Amino acid sequence: MASMLSAGLRSDSNIEVHKYYGGTVIITAFLALVLQAFLHKYGRWSELIDLPLLVTVYFGVSRRNTSTGLLLGAAIGILQDALSFDNPIGLYGIAKTLVGYVSSSIGGRIDTEHPLSRFGLVFLLFHFHQIVFAVTQRVLLNHSAPFFTLRLLLDSVITSAVGVALFALLDRLRRSA
Amino acid sequence: MLNVYSRHRSFALLICVVFAQVLLLAFQIKRDRDVPLIRYWAAELVTPIGRVGTWTSSKIRGVWTGYIDLHGARVENKQLQAEVGQLRLRNFELEAQAKESQRLQLLLDFRQAHPEAPMLAAQVIGASADPTSHTLFINRGEHDHIRRDMAVITPDGIVGKIVEVFSNDTAQVLLIDDKDSGVGALFADSRTHGVVKGTGDPLPIMDYVVNDEKVHPGEVILTSGEDRIFPKGLPIGVVKDASPASPFQIIHVQPAVHLDRIEDVLVLLTRQDVALKSAELPADPNAQIAAPAPASPASQSLGASPASKPAQPSAPAQEAR
Repeated sequence: MASMLSAGLRSDSNIEVHKYYGGTVIITAFLALVLQAFLHKYGRWSELIDLPLLVTVYFGVSRRNTSTGLLLGAAIGILQDALSFDNPIGLYGIAKTLVGYVSSSIGGRIDTEHPLSRFGLVFLLFHFHQIVFAVTQRVLLNHSAPFFTLRLLLDSVITSAVGVALFALLDRLRRSA
Repeated sequence: MLNVYSRHRSFALLICVVFAQVLLLAFQIKRDRDVPLIRYWAAELVTPIGRVGTWTSSKIRGVWTGYIDLHGARVENKQLQAEVGQLRLRNFELEAQAKESQRLQLLLDFRQAHPEAPMLAAQVIGASADPTSHTLFINRGEHDHIRRDMAVITPDGIVGKIVEVFSNDTAQVLLIDDKDSGVGALFADSRTHGVVKGTGDPLPIMDYVVNDEKVHPGEVILTSGEDRIFPKGLPIGVVKDASPASPFQIIHVQPAVHLDRIEDVLVLLTRQDVALKSAELPADPNAQIAAPAPASPASQSLGASPASKPAQPSAPAQEAR
């Protein structure tokens, strides 16, 4: 995975910043949150996918602006906390803020257009998100949240696979140069 | 340069956003007893600083008051020491006054209990400079109508007699333990007469008691009145010990009055007999050796004509004077 990512590294001069139509980012993020909450009604299989995480990662690597990336992650995370039953506001917010910052930082350094690199990027950021989420829970909530389980591994694989498809779909929303 | 600035700016923004959300969480999360986490943090943040501040200020204050600002303490210490000295002196004075009041109260009670015998209270103001002469000086003299051969007593018993009267309100008292002193005496129990004579030692002796007479330690000795100085029936003391000798027994007498620590006395202005109550008789210092008779012998001796049996009536009476 690491060799695949390093193979896609490129210089700053080759960085391509993608633009989107107005409201695309907001509407996409909103839809992701709504779908995450809506799909939850139809079964626990929806828990396998973290759509807000995928949106955060996608726009972070596409916009390649760390400030907007972390702010988008913060907004999506806080809204996800707000839509949850008993999560205190900021628990997902912190994790997705860091994911947004890291993804936008990485987006300027590696090739994020290839499906495999996208799969690997989402896979790594999923676990990075989980680690931050668990640390926050352990430190602030005094809960023994797991850093890694087989279930989390399965979630990360499914989310990464869905992410590859979703990213290809979201690529169509790019504004042509 | 611009890129570096931009990177740092975004990192600072990241820190701010994460910090803001941590604060947001801290306001929501509640630990024990529903106390928000932000309060825990605030307390944990402020308390050590306050503790350090308190510790530092207390140390500084301690150093200042304990080491640097000692000038005031030194002055205060001197003032307090002076005050303690004055208070200690004052305490001694008050204690002395209290003891004097008790002594005077005893004299007053005794005087009020015997209105038939005119008496005058006096204070001991000095003693003889000659160690072989057992005399005292009192603060009463001619102006107080003090005359020679007046009896000097205390509520405990007899002290001595006036031997010299000075015009400047001073009189000299010859104590009963002086070697020149003699007092007509009798045993309270057996009514046997004798003469209590000073020897120059602390213990006078009772002379002229024949060897056949049973004398017990602790036996009370009273004045017989035969010396025409001391009224009859006043306590002289008790028998300390008795041993046969020739021609009379040697009977050491423990005076009823502590002659070496007298401070206040009464001078009997006449030879009017003083009718002592049984409670005023001398306590028996050797009670465990020889208990006194249950019936008050003194009350018998204070009768108008007691059935006394003088052992040597003529000789002791003359010598006692």
